[in-house]
Amino acid sequence: MLVWFLPLFLLFLLIGLPVFFSLLAAPGILLWLNDQGRDAAMLYRNIYNGIDSFPLMAIPFFMLAGELMNRGGITLRLVEFSQAMMGHLRGGLAHVNILSSMLFAGLSGSAVADTSAIGSMLIPAMEKQGYTKKFAAAITAASSVIGPIIPPSGIMIIYAYVMGESVAALFLAGIIPGILVGVSLMIAVKFMANKYNFPQVTRKATWNERGKASLKAFFPLMTPVIILGGILGGIFTPTEASAVAAAYAMFIGLFVLKSLKWTDLPKVLTKAAMISSVVLLLVGAAMAFKTVVSLSHAPEHLAAFVLDLTDNPYILLFLINILLFIVGMFLDAGPAIIILGPILGPVFVDLGVHPVHFAMIMSVNLTVGLATPPMGLVLFVASSVSGERVETIAKAILPFLAVEVIVIFLITYFPAISMTIPLMTGFAK
Amino acid sequence: MNPAIKFLLIVFNYLEKINTFFLRIGRQLAWIAILLMVIVIMIQVFFRYVLNNALPWPDELARFLMLWMTGFIAPSAYRWGGFVSINMLDRFLPKIISNLLFILLLVVSLGVLIIGIQLGIKHINAGWIFNSSSIKIPLSLIGGKTENIKLAWMYMSLPVGIVFLISVNVELILRSFLSTFSKIDLPLDFDKEKLENY
Repeated sequence: MLVWFLPLFLLFLLIGLPVFFSLLAAPGILLWLNDQGRDAAMLYRNIYNGIDSFPLMAIPFFMLAGELMNRGGITLRLVEFSQAMMGHLRGGLAHVNILSSMLFAGLSGSAVADTSAIGSMLIPAMEKQGYTKKFAAAITAASSVIGPIIPPSGIMIIYAYVMGESVAALFLAGIIPGILVGVSLMIAVKFMANKYNFPQVTRKATWNERGKASLKAFFPLMTPVIILGGILGGIFTPTEASAVAAAYAMFIGLFVLKSLKWTDLPKVLTKAAMISSVVLLLVGAAMAFKTVVSLSHAPEHLAAFVLDLTDNPYILLFLINILLFIVGMFLDAGPAIIILGPILGPVFVDLGVHPVHFAMIMSVNLTVGLATPPMGLVLFVASSVSGERVETIAKAILPFLAVEVIVIFLITYFPAISMTIPLMTGFAK
Repeated sequence: MNPAIKFLLIVFNYLEKINTFFLRIGRQLAWIAILLMVIVIMIQVFFRYVLNNALPWPDELARFLMLWMTGFIAPSAYRWGGFVSINMLDRFLPKIISNLLFILLLVVSLGVLIIGIQLGIKHINAGWIFNSSSIKIPLSLIGGKTENIKLAWMYMSLPVGIVFLISVNVELILRSFLSTFSKIDLPLDFDKEKLENY
């Protein structure tokens, strides 16, 4: 009986009930029909205990750090740094766009923040140099998915918490896949630049100019060093690292770069608190949902069904990637991980896939889903920043999505891409 | 005007004003809470790493603040459409049906919230039995006795949020009902634009 909560949940989701309420209504109704009304109290306590967590606190802090960086003129310095390094290439600004996204990814854990910060600066500049608006918006959206892959990353904190993995291991596992996405996009741009004769406008920056740009970007670029260095060096936990990142961003915005005004602070804090509250409630509901998932033995049923199809893990991973990609087209990465992690994770770990590796497959695949139509949050933001229609950007982004799909399969079938750093540093066993 | 619609409009107007007033206060308290969280954790890092003296209370106090931050500001997020959902179906449905479906979904959400508040009150009652393990009110500083705070003060955060979520939910039901069945222009909450465009 209880196993029906999954179809009921899907039905609720598809007719448009907010994910938070779907996560609670579907199991709630079935517990009640099953005369297990008393377990509803357990659902409530699990939501509360789910939110009352120290590791989860990294989410509001990284959200805050991202908002502060976005306001504090830090994006401009990263773009100038990227311009000095890669601006002279054919298709220079497209490369600058990708490199800026990779650097921004080391400061913030959100693709949406990346698109709005870098897009509002680089899309007009690219247009001025003769790129089409749809291309500029498409490359911004495509490269911003690196944001949650390179650490710090909001969705990896969620995954680690919901699935009981180590945040540090997931952060470390994301480094090479994130760089791989960036480099692959750059290779694609290089081919397109030659084929479509992209502009080559600026001369190569001298080493002196590059040095100056690096110096200006020094304080923002120190953020990932502080976060990762602090966690790896055992100085602080990921949550403390996130608080330090927020305090650091506030400090350099207010006192060093002076690009953040004291009067802006309440609004920045309010925004971060608001986005975080939604995520925290979702995670709480997911913890309640997870209990019902295990009560219903859904993963066992699913595993039996899946293993009936084939027990070849390679084929199963292929199928799961397709499933995740389709889910990513309709749902944000965070909620998708919250819903699917507890159901799919145990199945694949039993098949011998390393939990950290599986976390990477899910995270990268669902993150790319942020840039796919019809429900790609990043596409919507790119559209509002550029003024180009979503449908037009959705077509222009297809070559880049193809590149990203190839990267997803590389990450799936070559575990070393994600596992090398966490294994070497001893954060994964 | 139909008297039923007129009555609902009066209720809506009151509720809209009440929500606007309380949610504004909630947002102010929430940003203060997140700022305090950063400060508390920085104190924790400083004492442990620099002074080699790990304090017992910052961890729990920061969680206390995070729970209250969520309770204070989640209703604003709900009112401004911040709760994630899949809005595919309404593109394919006729306007009137998609409006009715939207009202139905709000009613389901209301049901979840009402059950939530009942369970939340039970949870708070259980919380009066237990003391917090580390958060104390230092009344000894003014000559009294140091008191541990009860966990119920922490448990209360979520139900307080749910009360305002219910209030917002009823407002949203009335808003979509009135805009479906009458042609009255309903007031909008401009605070959202103020926060986004500054």
